[in-house]
Amino acid sequence: MAKNKSAATPHYELLYIIANKFSENELEPIVEKVAKLIEEGQGTTTHTEDWGKKKLAYPINGYTHGYYRLVEFDMEAANLARVERNLRMMPEVVRHMIVKKDLSRVTPIPRPAAAPKPELPVKAEKEVKEEKQKEKTNLKDLDEKLDKILETNDLL
Amino acid sequence: MENTINKNDKQCYFCVNNIKEIDYKDGHTLRRYVGSYMKIFSKKKTGTCAKHQRKLATAIKRARIMALMPFVNQPK
Ligand SMILES: [Zn+2]
Repeated sequence: MAKNKSAATPHYELLYIIANKFSENELEPIVEKVAKLIEEGQGTTTHTEDWGKKKLAYPINGYTHGYYRLVEFDMEAANLARVERNLRMMPEVVRHMIVKKDLSRVTPIPRPAAAPKPELPVKAEKEVKEEKQKEKTNLKDLDEKLDKILETNDLL
Repeated sequence: MENTINKNDKQCYFCVNNIKEIDYKDGHTLRRYVGSYMKIFSKKKTGTCAKHQRKLATAIKRARIMALMPFVNQPK
């Protein structure tokens, strides 16, 4: 292309799934291994996200759950292929996806957690405290319920 | 006078909200564009413009690969 190549190194976003056979405290070495791959490719990590354990939409290699991790980094395009190849050879990572990201064009996702709560009757402080503890389990239920609603909701 | 019949004035959600790139990680938005069998809705049905329909399809396919969304679904 005749277009001027921008001087800035491209920005990439990597999302990968760690097999569920590992426990929470075994994840750190795997995450470090991935970080090292990026380091070896002279990439600079700009952002990381831990999505935690999530149910997979369909089983992969017999796993029904996986740990999702997100890494954003800048890297020379020439080094990316090697990172990708090495990632593919990691048995701990069941699946991964590297996507080029144009930061000037992204719109942040409105997180569902930020949705306004349905109004609650006024409660004594004691009750509110108990509610907070329940909230964690409620969120899981909520997700399931939402899925069911969305499945049946055909937009029209 | 062709524009008088405008029964379905559905608008592209992404154009209206000025979303240039559709994120494949945004499952809640993507879910609105698949049916109960998880098939991608046509742009005719949802009013999405051609440009965003292409981006939407790519995003949904990426979400499927990363198991954020099923490829198929058997409604119970
Ligand atoms: Zn559009």
